[in-house]
Amino acid sequence: MRILHQILREWRNVGLALLLVGAMTVGMIGLVREAALAHGSVLYLLPVLIAAIRWGLVAALAAAIAGGTASAFFFYPPLYSFVIKDPQEILDLTLFIFVAVVTSKLAAKLKLQFDIAQKREADMRDLYAFSRRLAVSFGVSDIHAAIEDHLTSVMQRKVVLFASTQDSSDTATHSSDTAVPERVRSEVAQVAAGRRDPANGMPVIDGDGDIWLVRAVSPKKSEFGVIAVNLGPDSQAGLDDFRLRVDTVLADATATLERLDVAHAISEARMRSETDQLREALIGSVSHELRTPLASILGAASVLMSAPALAGEKNLRALVNDVRNEAERLNDDIQNLLDATRISSDGIKPHTEWADPADIVNSAIERCRRRFGDRRLSLDVPGELPLVYVDSVLVEQALVQIFDNAAKYSPAGSRIGITARARESSIVLAVSDEGTGLSNGDKTRIWERFFRGGQHAATTSGSGLGLWIATAFVAANGGKISAKSDGIGYGTTLSIELPVAQAALAQMEGEADE
Amino acid sequence: MSEPAPIVLIIDDEIQIRRFLRTGFELNGFVVHEAGTGAEAIRTATLRPIDLVILDLGLPDMDGSEVVEKIRSWSSVPLIVLSVRSSEAEKVKLLERGADDYVVKPFGMAELLARVRVALRRQMRAMSGEPIVKIGPLTIDLSARAVLLNEVRLTLTPKEYRLLQILAQHAGNVVTHQHLLKEVWGSIHVQDTHYLRIFVRKLRQKIEANPNSPRILVTELGVGYRLAQPASEAENNAWNVAEAPGAKGE
Repeated sequence: MRILHQILREWRNVGLALLLVGAMTVGMIGLVREAALAHGSVLYLLPVLIAAIRWGLVAALAAAIAGGTASAFFFYPPLYSFVIKDPQEILDLTLFIFVAVVTSKLAAKLKLQFDIAQKREADMRDLYAFSRRLAVSFGVSDIHAAIEDHLTSVMQRKVVLFASTQDSSDTATHSSDTAVPERVRSEVAQVAAGRRDPANGMPVIDGDGDIWLVRAVSPKKSEFGVIAVNLGPDSQAGLDDFRLRVDTVLADATATLERLDVAHAISEARMRSETDQLREALIGSVSHELRTPLASILGAASVLMSAPALAGEKNLRALVNDVRNEAERLNDDIQNLLDATRISSDGIKPHTEWADPADIVNSAIERCRRRFGDRRLSLDVPGELPLVYVDSVLVEQALVQIFDNAAKYSPAGSRIGITARARESSIVLAVSDEGTGLSNGDKTRIWERFFRGGQHAATTSGSGLGLWIATAFVAANGGKISAKSDGIGYGTTLSIELPVAQAALAQMEGEADE
Repeated sequence: MSEPAPIVLIIDDEIQIRRFLRTGFELNGFVVHEAGTGAEAIRTATLRPIDLVILDLGLPDMDGSEVVEKIRSWSSVPLIVLSVRSSEAEKVKLLERGADDYVVKPFGMAELLARVRVALRRQMRAMSGEPIVKIGPLTIDLSARAVLLNEVRLTLTPKEYRLLQILAQHAGNVVTHQHLLKEVWGSIHVQDTHYLRIFVRKLRQKIEANPNSPRILVTELGVGYRLAQPASEAENNAWNVAEAPGAKGE
């Protein structure tokens, strides 16, 4: 099939070369008449060279012979006969044929090298794209999709890759949405289960008469999966030829996959997803197992607090109050742990909406009212702040963490200032306390997970997670947090800066009134 | 309360939570029914007269929203959902399905009772057709379409009034952004939260003593707004001396 194709192409090239020689002859006959040009044979080097560069050696040789013959026939006396009388002209023609053959050989070699270089470049480009795609693939399915696309582009045929599942041998999962006939699927399952000779693909004919070749990508590594290649409605005769080509491509692809250590990447991705699932399950159960009893404890304490039987019992009520406060603290700690796990496991996906910064501040203050105790709040939030496009619940939680810090590390009865300011392209929410303050070293380190300043650790208990969580929540909304302090004993100011899109706001003011 | 004791149905799979809720409600003069599963809850709700439903999410046999939908298919009984924090989307879904309000776990009995009283009052007002809603210094007369602040009539634009009207119809209960946007601006604007933010600001300028620390029209972050209906008449009269309602207190 392939050889036949090549012969056909070669014939076409020869035909084209002869056509070129013919055209040249017509042109030269004209030239000889007009300009009385003799010995036109040298001009025939032109079609020879063109044929050598464009269509290869065979076409060039045909052009050389045709050129020589045409010279003898049209231009050397006696005209219109293949006989040449003058020995000088015989030498000329022999020289022409010699030069033509040598140059066509050289030009054809050049063309071959050029073609090879071009193909190599295309291969390299493919391979580079493939390896780059592998590098950004996180899951097993990403890697399989990359392999599938790579094989499709190399084979120029529709390729469907089936990832073999490790645990159950009779099912193979499908990596793309392409429809694959049932008969092909069952063959894929056979191959995946190792019930076929791995080095020899079985052709399957589907309902539409298309032939599919089903093969394991690598005979040695089952994790690369099984491919089904749609050969189209080709005749059985071409199959062996194509099978050879698939073998070559797969051998190359397997080598590439091995070189890029795809097997390792796949198993790592698989492990990662299993770890993630485990972590999710753990978070879910910890959340439920720890918080449900806490909800009962807090609820029961609140009922006791208002029970008539305890109305006059000051000491007992104090105990119940302790139960409630400690349970609340425990609940906050669990929430922090859950938030921290959420941040480090899968990042945070904010649910953004237009929000009024004043609403966020007020809501956070409301939630912290008990924590502030008798500290004096001074609130400075102007009425006409621009709206921000954020996940208001996340920003509120960040603010609660900052309030919590301010309350924890400042003395009872001191002042906590909360200000909101609009800047050119952002708004800044700042919280300042009259508490412990920060040393220069602390300022850069307070954002680290589990960091606690020396002064802070000495006075109050805490996990060192709060500000780390706040930073992550604010960053998820495109904002940033900064800290200022004049030193130990001079209080701290923590600021959240959130971006504002001014243009969008100006437009919005008009819209809502319609 | 001079009326017969209100009957509450508590739906929760945790026996400890049911126990403290039962004690808390009984101490406050309620009659309590319990259900540990969704199926049992629906059976109880169809067989007995119920004045109020407390539904904890995460039942073993049924999705919370399914329970809400089933009960709502024949009854308008006040329904309060107990949910965990950071599940705003779920809260919104349940409110859209017909829940009246939610309380975030863990919560204190006082907080839950305040929500319960508001929901019962709203139900009573809806049944009696009472057109006047009073929140501290603010009076909204739904039949006369008049809004008064300290007995002085306010001028509101049609959209401002419509917004306040919907909130007043649900006075004390949270109303979702989506619901408000749909009712005031039409269903194609349900995503345009910024319309709401701007109009709520304008409305607060007119009805709040201090628009920057609103006490009447309060924001439920990520969910919606509520008119802070005090739980009782006495509390309403004591508006100016009391702490902001909804604050976590005893």
